[in-house]
Amino acid sequence: MIDATEAVGFGRALRSAGLDVEMRRVAAFREATGRVRSDDLYWAGRSTLVSRRDELAVYDRVFATYFRGAPEERRAGVAVPVRRRVTGIGSAAPGSAEPGPRSQVAAASSVEVLRRKSFADCTPAELAAVHRLLARLRLLAPTRRTRRRRIARRGEPDLRRTLRRAFRTGAEPVEVVWRTRRRRPRRIVFLLDVSGSMAAYSRALVLFAHAAVRADRRFEVFAFGTRLTRLTPALDTLRLDAALSRATAAVADWEGGTRIGDSLRAFLDGFGHPGLARGAVVVVCSDGLEVGDPMLVGEQMRRLRRLAHRVVWINPLKASPGYEPLARGMAAALPHVDVFASGHNLDSLAEVARAIESAGLRRARA
Amino acid sequence: MTRFEDPESLAVALRSESYLADHGLSVALYLALTMGRPLLLEGEPGVGKTEVARALARVLDARLIRLQCYEGIDAAQAIYEWDYARQLLYARLLQSGELNAEAAIHRLYDEPFLQERPLLAAIRAGSRAVLLVDELDRADDEFEAFLLEALSDFAVTIPELGTVRSDDGSSPVVILTSNRTRELHDALKRRCFYHWIDFPSEEREAEIVMLHVPEAGERLSRSVASSIARLRGLELVKPPGAAEAIDWAGALSRLGFDEVTEAGAEATLGLAIKNRDDLDVVTARLSEIAR
Repeated sequence: MIDATEAVGFGRALRSAGLDVEMRRVAAFREATGRVRSDDLYWAGRSTLVSRRDELAVYDRVFATYFRGAPEERRAGVAVPVRRRVTGIGSAAPGSAEPGPRSQVAAASSVEVLRRKSFADCTPAELAAVHRLLARLRLLAPTRRTRRRRIARRGEPDLRRTLRRAFRTGAEPVEVVWRTRRRRPRRIVFLLDVSGSMAAYSRALVLFAHAAVRADRRFEVFAFGTRLTRLTPALDTLRLDAALSRATAAVADWEGGTRIGDSLRAFLDGFGHPGLARGAVVVVCSDGLEVGDPMLVGEQMRRLRRLAHRVVWINPLKASPGYEPLARGMAAALPHVDVFASGHNLDSLAEVARAIESAGLRRARA
Repeated sequence: MTRFEDPESLAVALRSESYLADHGLSVALYLALTMGRPLLLEGEPGVGKTEVARALARVLDARLIRLQCYEGIDAAQAIYEWDYARQLLYARLLQSGELNAEAAIHRLYDEPFLQERPLLAAIRAGSRAVLLVDELDRADDEFEAFLLEALSDFAVTIPELGTVRSDDGSSPVVILTSNRTRELHDALKRRCFYHWIDFPSEEREAEIVMLHVPEAGERLSRSVASSIARLRGLELVKPPGAAEAIDWAGALSRLGFDEVTEAGAEATLGLAIKNRDDLDVVTARLSEIAR
């Protein structure tokens, strides 16, 4: 068994690298090292201190530096970036730019203006106001039937309840109770392009997603530029803004475009195909400026379309008069999109919300 | 249940049940067994997550109880359900005086009418069972919370019967698998040990194939293993797992091939590749795969 100080120190090193290592785990780790040979130290720690695949790379790194002797059987990490604790980089929280008191009329008219103003043209103060307005938008996901059941007026007989009631009437099932499948909102998955010019729109969209679906946890947010980052864990906390800034910073050198095809593939391979996109409403927000192979975009969009319930593509450029989907990535993606919208201002986002809501009812093509 | 002195002897025992565990997995299993903790297994589909539990059950001479999770699974499907039709029949008999009412009335909610579901069965069996909670990520959050409770004290309370636990107070060995379609709850993960099962190395894959398809022989097994390794290098939507390698080797050997040739691969590719897009990719590069 390794020394308690050493075990605790290793736990601390993992914690500071971002792993969720509480004391109980460290105790289990220490006990485990007493049960295996000393050259199995690596595996004893890996079984007891790690609980997800994307932590393995961090574990390997910390293990190597902490215990020096790195074992041969270590495996390279996966393409999915590790979630790290992000500390205050980036802009102020939306609430902090509270505007001073002003007359009702002025407030009302500025709301009117804001609703139509493109996010890209907004000043930081206006964006903060937009974010507050966004919080009022409701986003209802289309529903699907689950295997859970509830009492209903008609449907199939509910034997358990029927029997219970039958006992009241001398074991004679006079009153038959019926039950039916419950309906549940579908998962909504946002894939947000955070490169260059798209950042302002994506930021608004993620706040929209956050505010609108807050009550319901069935949604996922990914950011992409040159690679894919899962933002969902950050959405639970105040770290959201910092996480977004970080994702944006990672692609700052790609002003000209995005690796949409590669990012879509990373999403589908790592998350979508295993089940995250299955039966979901997937919202992609991007201008469709692909720096890679547009063929790949088409291919991956076809995959996505087959998995997802509905695919919505939001492209702010669509708002410009006379817009034609000429960007090669956009043109390749379009045949596999159910709803194509601009989403560049509040009014348009409200429209997107309605389109998503009705996505269960009809296949709208704009 | 500490019949094994070290991870190696556990690995040897598993091997005798046709399961080749790599070193990391046998350490994780050994620790889960000796420290009495559930083991959460993750890995690509087809790396043998479910198979681990089967082999372990045979090694421990325990009953394998499998709880396949799906969306909407609830207590009635996981723990117990009353047999309503029989209860009703019984109640009718009571009423028509064909049974002694005094004695019989208490039996209405008793053993004969209880339909045991996997979780209850496993808890009752205690250490005589290996409980496999398969694809937990498919169940919803509520079920997970409830499973956590059952796994913490290995007891289930049935209102009409009281608290049920195993006769000897022991708890079953618990293996959980997940395909990572959603993040499992932290509280549950904290209770579990964890192991990520990678695709086997080419060497080990050949061994696995030989173990499961002895008639394939060493030459074909090695050839299949290296072709499978090349297939995994192609960035397919669904890379072939060990199960596919075994099926593929079986088919090739039945057709009389003693290595993966282009013609043989073409005729049997559907056993290794199970996605239309992947088939196109692979067919175009068949000569590289069958080498």
